[in-house]
Amino acid sequence: MKSIKFFMMALAAIALSAGFVACDDDDSAASNWQKYQDAVTKNVKANKKQDKAILLVAFGSTWQQAYDAFDGTVAAYKQKFPGYDIFLSFSSAICINRAAAGENVDPRNFYAPNFWLNAFAQEGVRYNEIVVQSLQVIPGEEYTRVINYIKDFANNSNGDLDDAYLSEVVLKLGVPLLQDAEADVPEVAKQLNSLYKTQAAEGVVAFMGHGNPDSYDTYKANVRYTQLEEALQVYNKNYYVGTVDMMDNFKTNVLARMQAAGITGGKVFCHPLMSIDGDHGHNDMAGDDDAWDNGFEANEEGEVEDTSWKMFFHHMGYICDNTTMIEKGLLELPTVRNVWMQHTQDAIAGEPLDFYHSKNPE
Amino acid sequence: MNRTTLGTLWRAMVTAVAFVGCSLPSTAQDSLSASRLEEVVVTGTGTQHRLKDAPVQTEVITRRELEQYGGRSIEDILAGLTASFAFNEDDMGSQMQMNGLGNAYILILIDGKRLHGDNGGQNDLGLIDPARIERIEIVKGAASALYGSDAIAGVVNIITRKYDRDGLLLENTTRGGSYNDWRQHNSVGIALGKWASLTNFQLQHSDGWQNTSHEDPRQTEFPIYDSRNKTVNRHTNWQVGERLDYTVSPDLAFYAEGTIYRKRIYRPSGKYAAVDVKTYDLAYRNASAAVGGKWTPTEKSVVTLDIDWNRHAYDYVFTDTTLVDGYDPYGNFTHYYPYFPDQRNLQSDQRRTMGHLKGIFELPASNRLSAGLEVRHDWLRAPMRVDHGGTVTDNTEALYVQDEYSPWRLLQLTGGLRLDRNQQFGFHLTPKLSAMVSPTDWLRLRASWSQGFKTPTPKEQHYRYVREMNGTYLYLGNADLRPQTSNYGSVGAEVNTGGFSFSVTGYINKVEDMINLVTIPNYRAPEEYQTMYELHKTRQYQNLEHARTVGVDVNVRYAVRDFSVGGSYSYLDTDAHLYDSDHDRMTDVVIDGMAHHKSNWFATWNHSFRRPYRLGLGLYGRASSKRYYQLNGDGKAYQIWRFSSTHDIQCHALSSRGLSLRMEAGVDNIFNYVDRTPHGLHLGTTTPGTTAYASVTLRFRQGKNKFQSFKTNSKQSYDEEY
Repeated sequence: MKSIKFFMMALAAIALSAGFVACDDDDSAASNWQKYQDAVTKNVKANKKQDKAILLVAFGSTWQQAYDAFDGTVAAYKQKFPGYDIFLSFSSAICINRAAAGENVDPRNFYAPNFWLNAFAQEGVRYNEIVVQSLQVIPGEEYTRVINYIKDFANNSNGDLDDAYLSEVVLKLGVPLLQDAEADVPEVAKQLNSLYKTQAAEGVVAFMGHGNPDSYDTYKANVRYTQLEEALQVYNKNYYVGTVDMMDNFKTNVLARMQAAGITGGKVFCHPLMSIDGDHGHNDMAGDDDAWDNGFEANEEGEVEDTSWKMFFHHMGYICDNTTMIEKGLLELPTVRNVWMQHTQDAIAGEPLDFYHSKNPE
Repeated sequence: MNRTTLGTLWRAMVTAVAFVGCSLPSTAQDSLSASRLEEVVVTGTGTQHRLKDAPVQTEVITRRELEQYGGRSIEDILAGLTASFAFNEDDMGSQMQMNGLGNAYILILIDGKRLHGDNGGQNDLGLIDPARIERIEIVKGAASALYGSDAIAGVVNIITRKYDRDGLLLENTTRGGSYNDWRQHNSVGIALGKWASLTNFQLQHSDGWQNTSHEDPRQTEFPIYDSRNKTVNRHTNWQVGERLDYTVSPDLAFYAEGTIYRKRIYRPSGKYAAVDVKTYDLAYRNASAAVGGKWTPTEKSVVTLDIDWNRHAYDYVFTDTTLVDGYDPYGNFTHYYPYFPDQRNLQSDQRRTMGHLKGIFELPASNRLSAGLEVRHDWLRAPMRVDHGGTVTDNTEALYVQDEYSPWRLLQLTGGLRLDRNQQFGFHLTPKLSAMVSPTDWLRLRASWSQGFKTPTPKEQHYRYVREMNGTYLYLGNADLRPQTSNYGSVGAEVNTGGFSFSVTGYINKVEDMINLVTIPNYRAPEEYQTMYELHKTRQYQNLEHARTVGVDVNVRYAVRDFSVGGSYSYLDTDAHLYDSDHDRMTDVVIDGMAHHKSNWFATWNHSFRRPYRLGLGLYGRASSKRYYQLNGDGKAYQIWRFSSTHDIQCHALSSRGLSLRMEAGVDNIFNYVDRTPHGLHLGTTTPGTTAYASVTLRFRQGKNKFQSFKTNSKQSYDEEY
């Protein structure tokens, strides 16, 4: 009898344990959202000194050089816009996570735009004016997402903000670096030329932008790279602008244009045309690889994907090595950064956004 | 009764501690070689054969070899005692290969039941308690109709020690080693009349280690010499299992069993956001339940039925605030759902339900027929990694028959047919044929040909994830995958004479439409992912056009009196092609982890002294040539040596109390070889260098002396593995 009792108890224990195991303890309490939002709000409250705020929005990075560039940008904004509190936002969750964690490092809280904006609207904060400045280079896919964050905020999409506040807050939007083909493109070309005219006199200066994949180029923003190349070539025919993702403007296309212009040798300087110099600048532009051993074969889009700009131009017969890599993000170039800051200034001086209830008009 | 037992145990333990001075003649040692050949194997045909007479070439690692080797894990055992396996432990777990093919092609069975659950195609081998292994049987190629044609590389059948006799069994093995490596095994067996219960607990822990703090400078922004990334991460896993047996009559028996398993992999966090900052650990929750029975209608026929259910759930356990894909409180999809330290988030949950009905019948004219029906239902839930609402399922059924025919003493033929039906891919028939010729008592010639068939798993079809390793890697499933088929052929010769045995087997395995992770251009990734992540590489499961592995396995061993020496060598070549649609041609693809040459060797000496003490000493070596990979460098060649010792105390003072005591100690990687290749690149081996271990096993048994002893080799129950 005792043994049967033992067996029954053992069975019961197993059954209980199995039942416990079968329960999904995926802890996705809705309170997490609020708890996180509260942390962002607390951060904003602790740093609130003014009644107006500027939120800089970037994709994000995990590179130290990028952090330094962002720090420098925030410092420059603080200096130029003393009446505003300056905040910086990442849109990449992985970059946000990595920047805020780590052992023996001060957390860098680059919260996502929606959390910052919601914090700005909380009681005890409630900025009178919020300027969202896009740190994107072209008005493409990423920039569209920035606009959508503002729209969601202005329309109180989740119904969790004070509608009275939203009807009063002044919302402004600073546009990307190359927003305007007629104003921004020549200005950026002018600043880049003044920085790199020495190199352009010595050889090709090839800028590497990001670009949107073809079917994602909804806003036809990729054309800015072509326009920038034209504007730069007004100063010197040795300037070229290519991209990582833009159809018909990969490094292979840059090479074709160079060859068509009769440039078949000499130095090729490479420079990221991105707000920061991170993974793309160090790997896609200046990385080392042995793709040449397999023959540089273009994919169906005409790009040789496995190799960097450095290795590509090197094997194509140009002088292109570590000495010709200019590892600088555009935010690290004060005169180019000033174009973004001017956009902020223009936004402040311009009309407020009319996004309130733009999604669901009354 | 329990009190009496505990009292007896206590007295016995006290005696064990003071065993000095006890005396009893030692047992005579069997000839290792002879007992090895008498080992009964079941994997190749599903029926019992002595190893030397197995019609399908079977490699066996015996209990005695396992004990002499003193392996810490199944990985350690397979890598150390055969030349066919390669492992690479990384921060996610073990990567297993058998004759060049990965874990997805290796069917791992525990007592004939499929090990369940994978991470990145890799089974969690922590589910196997090394202290419970009775023996390991290895059959190459999809040779068995019974165990599924998806065993394209082969089958590893782990036979565990059983117990179904009268009385009480208590057993503890505690093994400690370098890097805080702890292995704990406990068994409690109680048998009363028709009932028997066996409860097992195992714990495995290691602090992990770091072979280098350098990161690959080609993948980092600046040289990093103080990375916190470990070569093998700290991990802890434990398992509780219970099995109940009820023997209705000598012809009819039933069982029910269940297990619960937990594992956590701890990931330290450093200060470099791009390289070693981690915000979550990895955790696994497994459970299983099975019921079954065996009916023996006649002396030579058996019918078995097994129904089992398994679960393998994979969670992130957050160590820092982390935003992940999810749904906000308003029901909108977001990339920014926050989790906080100690919270969990389910990544995937794999569940499988299987039923297997099998019969073995002795037929006239020297025929033995096996036939069976297998049904299988797979269920995968991965809310953020699978479309289709986060859940996909798959159903497969199979019918098989196998006939073993021995027209005359010299020849044994085994033919099998397996018909699989998959809900997506329909019917597929795979034949298998093996022949063994025994021209003399000492020579066996074997040949086999088998076809394999493996449908894409739900994970291979639908699962996607992002992994951060010095850059963002996107892994994609592929809904357009086709099933894989294989043709495996082997010929072999085996010589057994006196204490000498030698075997050589050549094989070729041609896999059509082999599914492999292939690096694809980033622009082929879904555009949403291109814009959401700064993708460093995109990898996707794709059907290769042709893949072929060809190799030779050689085994040799010689045993005389107390000595035993031997070795094995495996040559492998692989050849795989992928159709490159960009250029309309075939391109060569490296099968990750492939090495041309692998070998291992051993020399052991076992001696029973006049005093009640038996000593075993072993020297082992293993080596591999360079391992090839598609990305991030090749793994270096290596050679590792190991010394082991075993100490059995067999004195009257212990045995009269039902106790036996065994100790093992050894040193692995005697010459302190460490591969210090920087993080981000592949290693040939992840060994931390010289390590030491020691273990103690104490076993108590009371009741009729029917439990399997330490030396169970040839005489254990023949029918346990059905």
